[in-house]
Amino acid sequence: MSELFRRIRYLINRRRFDAELESDMEFHREMAARAGRSNFGNTLRMRERAREAWGWTWLDRLVQDLRFATRTLARSPGFTFTAVLVLAIGIGVNVAVFSLFNMVVLQLIPVRDPGSLVQLNRRSPGQFTSQMPYLSAVFYRDHAKSLSAMMAMQGAPPMQIDDDLQPTTTTFVTPNYFTELGTPAGYGRLFDSTREGSVSAPPAAVLSYGLWQHRFAGDPSIIGSVIRLNKKPVTVIGITPYAFANLGGQGPDIWLPVAQQPFFIEGSTVLTDPSASSVRMWGRLTPGVSSKMAAQELLALTNELRRQHPKDIWDNEFIDIQPGGHILLLQPPMYSVVAMVAGLAVLILAVACANLGGLLLARAVTREHEIGIRVAIGATKVRIFRQLFTESLVLAMLGASAGLGLGYLCLRVAFTQFDMPRWLNAAPDWRVLLFTIAMAFIAATFFGFAPALQIARQRQRKTIIRQVLIGAQIAASSVLLIVAGLLVRATQHVLYTDPGFAYEQLMSVDPQLDRHGYTPAAAKAYLAQMQERVGALPGVKSVALVKLPPMNHTISRMDVEINGHPVPIYPNWVEPGTFQTMGIPIRLGRTFYPGEKNVVIVSESLARREWPGQNPIGQLLPGGDAKDTVVGVAGDAHVNAVNDDDAVEQYWPAQLEDMPDMVVMVRAGGDPGGVAPMIKSISENLDRKLFPEIRQLKLLYLDNVSLLDRIATIASMIGLIAVLVAGVGIIGLVSFSVSQRMKEIAIRMALGAKKVEILNEVLRQFVLPVAIGLVAGTGIAAAASKVLRKILFGVDNLDPLSYAGAIAVLASLILLAAVLPARRALRLDLAKTLHYE
Amino acid sequence: MPMTDRPKSDMPKAGMPSGALSMLILRVLQSGSLHGYAIAQRIHLLSSEVLGVEEGLLYPTLQKMLVKGWVTAEWGTSETNRKVRFYRLMPEGRKHLKAELSEYDRVTQAIQDILRTA
Repeated sequence: MSELFRRIRYLINRRRFDAELESDMEFHREMAARAGRSNFGNTLRMRERAREAWGWTWLDRLVQDLRFATRTLARSPGFTFTAVLVLAIGIGVNVAVFSLFNMVVLQLIPVRDPGSLVQLNRRSPGQFTSQMPYLSAVFYRDHAKSLSAMMAMQGAPPMQIDDDLQPTTTTFVTPNYFTELGTPAGYGRLFDSTREGSVSAPPAAVLSYGLWQHRFAGDPSIIGSVIRLNKKPVTVIGITPYAFANLGGQGPDIWLPVAQQPFFIEGSTVLTDPSASSVRMWGRLTPGVSSKMAAQELLALTNELRRQHPKDIWDNEFIDIQPGGHILLLQPPMYSVVAMVAGLAVLILAVACANLGGLLLARAVTREHEIGIRVAIGATKVRIFRQLFTESLVLAMLGASAGLGLGYLCLRVAFTQFDMPRWLNAAPDWRVLLFTIAMAFIAATFFGFAPALQIARQRQRKTIIRQVLIGAQIAASSVLLIVAGLLVRATQHVLYTDPGFAYEQLMSVDPQLDRHGYTPAAAKAYLAQMQERVGALPGVKSVALVKLPPMNHTISRMDVEINGHPVPIYPNWVEPGTFQTMGIPIRLGRTFYPGEKNVVIVSESLARREWPGQNPIGQLLPGGDAKDTVVGVAGDAHVNAVNDDDAVEQYWPAQLEDMPDMVVMVRAGGDPGGVAPMIKSISENLDRKLFPEIRQLKLLYLDNVSLLDRIATIASMIGLIAVLVAGVGIIGLVSFSVSQRMKEIAIRMALGAKKVEILNEVLRQFVLPVAIGLVAGTGIAAAASKVLRKILFGVDNLDPLSYAGAIAVLASLILLAAVLPARRALRLDLAKTLHYE
Repeated sequence: MPMTDRPKSDMPKAGMPSGALSMLILRVLQSGSLHGYAIAQRIHLLSSEVLGVEEGLLYPTLQKMLVKGWVTAEWGTSETNRKVRFYRLMPEGRKHLKAELSEYDRVTQAIQDILRTA
């Protein structure tokens, strides 16, 4: 029997052992009395000291303190309620943020053995893509021994089911996709390598649970029946489960076997073209193989691929292996965003703690009597401190439990606002619980430590600590408000500023000629006909070609250093009429001539950065190997980077070889929505194999803005909550300092002091901490908001309006919170106050 | 009552260091089990009434020895015909006593060496 074991036995049977000890000592005294001695001392105290040997005194005291704390808190339900509420807000926000982080970054997705999943990307020192040629993926699958399985996913254009107006999202996957993830069919069956592995297999489709519900009314007889996808018959073989965990985020509505890609997209050569990077690839590490070992083997295979297709593999290319079992892989560029969100959440907790600290101090003055008595009868400072801190811990635990519930609720609401995968579960797991407990302890330390120390030293009437708490609250609140203000301004900026092109009247028509195996010449002929016919439609003002249309699925970007500053340049390839069709003005020079080469048009901002104070026309574009002359300057138009105000553009004339990639931009006179059906029928006449993706830019743009709008709403709500919490705290502190000096004020007023003088007197102590808090908060916000620049849509992170607005809101709130309770002081019933006590 | 701590100066004064006390207790128990009062009496007598064992030190020490497993307590009847606990030496305690004694010998020997030669 070990010592610990014996101690636990003493803890469990403490009553019995204590009785035995008592009997021992009683006997001892009896015998001593017989021997004529009678000096025994405090028997209770002696027994307690003997019991200390068991090693459980700390537990006794803790239980004692907890009981006392619970009683004290229960006696003042108003204070307890306020404190728990304030803490629940502070901790709840943090719990919600951490839960989200946990779900997205830490938790593994619910598929079979998610830990061994890896995502494979192509990387070289200068280049990166998550897309790889299907042939390479197959090559890696066939030769890599370190990968026990390979899954590939190829994005596909949305397709039309039967005669639907709205196209449905589709994706091609390798037939092992569902079996490898261990996904059971919701209904029917999912793909099977032996049945859907070849081109000649009968066309099969798997539908998402959502599509099955809303398009087919959950009818089980759909399984085995034939639907038409872009006019091609295909048998529905099954439905994915309700909460299917797809790799790489939200899944499509229809899954198709990759082997049948050429059947659905006629003329496509991506499955046989070694240069067509088209699939995202996942693998499963063979048990016992580390990703480092796998990387070694894959590098050798990449080199082998280079030998076979020298043109299609980059210099120094290697396969970059990333864990594949999470929804989101945290990449270094996102660290700062995560840090910022965490920082804001912690600030709210700081406001809550500073607030509660103030309340505790105020309460201490009303408890002076009680604590005074305890000190008088011999309680040490340590003991009183411990007692008060235990009280804070109890409060923190109550607040944390409420915060846990609140955080869960917030997430549930957030899930309904944003499109989240169905399998995500907001219920807290062990990590969240642990985090919440840790938060409770941290909070208790922040709000309880200093006040408990002050009170135990009987210094609760000192104002300095109160002033520090107020200053901290104001500083943290102002940071939160300023950030919220910036985000709101950013939303407005996007909503009310022109992105530089006529998005409201534009449609993009992407025939995806390249995917259907069009040669440049054939593409040119097709596009010419398309332009002519669409241009002749009533309601269409003009038609032009562009390679990268706004809000495209892929964007291209070059980071170039100009005069020591990194500048993101978005290149595009256009034809002479594109500027006019898209509503981008030519500010200087001219547009291209038909068939022109080695010329370039730059955006205003680029011209200003590259050649400040000079005429850009006729300059040679530095950097590139081709000597391109600037012939024109176009207005700024964030065609490919709506969110980045630092972005600049550069346009080249599209050449013959660009034709298979070109997209037709259609500018309508009014609302372009009505033209879509006509464009569809033109496309059918031109080539029945093609199903162009027709997109109305205004809708895409509004989608983009509404997401931002929701984020800004959340941010401003959080800011507002923080300010309200701070407001409550200030009201409490001011009314406390008034009540503390009630008698003094009454005497002064009785002696004829002016009301304004007394108001000044009461509020003066708060002026300095408020001022310091505001200045510090503004400074912190200015420094920290640099991180925000990317998502501020061109609003300066030092935007004066946001700062002024935030400070004004906060200042008026502080004034209100200070004057309201102080006014009470001026309406004193003098006689009553002076007679009190 | 939430307050039980007292300033340190209130602690009962020990007649001897508690490490020495546990050694003495183990030694007197070697010849048979005794109740608490008898342990104190035996030490007092054997030391020719030089060493007194206070109740305030004896019982905490005994509790500590119980938790350590050096001794165990059993019910018995006292010479005054009262039900009382007798403390009995355990093998664990015998081992500890042996170690303590040899350590004590070593130290006293060293001290005596110094006293004799210095």
